[in-house]
Amino acid sequence: MRADLAESHRRSLAHVGAVGAHFTAEQRLRIATVARDAYLEADPSPPWARLFDEPALDVAYRLARHAGTITEQWYEQIISEGMHPLEWVEIVGIVIATVPVVAFARAAGLPSPGFPAPGSGAPHGRVAHELAPATLNWVPVAAPADQTASVVQALSALPDEWDNLWQLAGAQYMSDAQMADPLWNRGTLSRPQMELTAGRISRIRECFF
Amino acid sequence: MLSWSSNEAGTPADLAAIAEGAGDGGLPFGAELVAFADAVGGFDDLVLGSARERLRAAAGDEFLADAAAVLANFEMMTRVADGTGARFPAETAPHRTTLDHRLDIGRFTSSR
Repeated sequence: MRADLAESHRRSLAHVGAVGAHFTAEQRLRIATVARDAYLEADPSPPWARLFDEPALDVAYRLARHAGTITEQWYEQIISEGMHPLEWVEIVGIVIATVPVVAFARAAGLPSPGFPAPGSGAPHGRVAHELAPATLNWVPVAAPADQTASVVQALSALPDEWDNLWQLAGAQYMSDAQMADPLWNRGTLSRPQMELTAGRISRIRECFF
Repeated sequence: MLSWSSNEAGTPADLAAIAEGAGDGGLPFGAELVAFADAVGGFDDLVLGSARERLRAAAGDEFLADAAAVLANFEMMTRVADGTGARFPAETAPHRTTLDHRLDIGRFTSSR
């Protein structure tokens, strides 16, 4: 395993175990644990099952295991039940900080890394300076909206989650800037081999985007 | 991205490898990569173990680790997109029609 990738994954799990904008570190680790277990579960529950008495954990489960089944209607339903849209964004940030670390270990045949001890303190409430509704995402984003690609602005409402997403992408795949060069590659795979691998897993996951 | 990069590399790829998991996409170790991606997407650890060893035997440990990193990244990015309702700008739709049809994207729940 490359040293930069190992460090990126270590940072991501440390991020999961730290206090977030809306959730305590203990809450974040519960969400991450549900996401990890859902991803690895041999016999998963169906997408529509609400297995937990906390909506945050239901969202984590479905996103980790059945992401392609999530609809705007279900997002609106969860929000109408009382979840704040930025709590939803933070859950997405926690799940995507956890799943790739677990997925890499499983794919490479390595033991799944453990979570760190939780940090202490109350949620810090740090959000983007100004928020705006987006037409390219369901969730609110940092203003001005829709000036960049939807996946780029997706977590921009919560700077800590956005930073972690892109530090992971930079180590696992490539940065935004490197993406602009169709021949850029890292390591042993050529760029077309990287894109074949990326395209096939995205197709299997039935990701519209 | 595959079409773009493979054309730039001078080896246009066959999208059947992405759409149906068939063939090797015209790339070295392409069949092994597709089988590895299918296995990671499939949640059967025995199938995954077999695909992993096939890729390792063909291309080596470093290649396997780099392929696993790309797969991990797209286990992440698909969830970012699906979890935030990511959409393409409407004005790009005409450019995507052929590819969307080829990949049968219209029937995906996430496209609703």
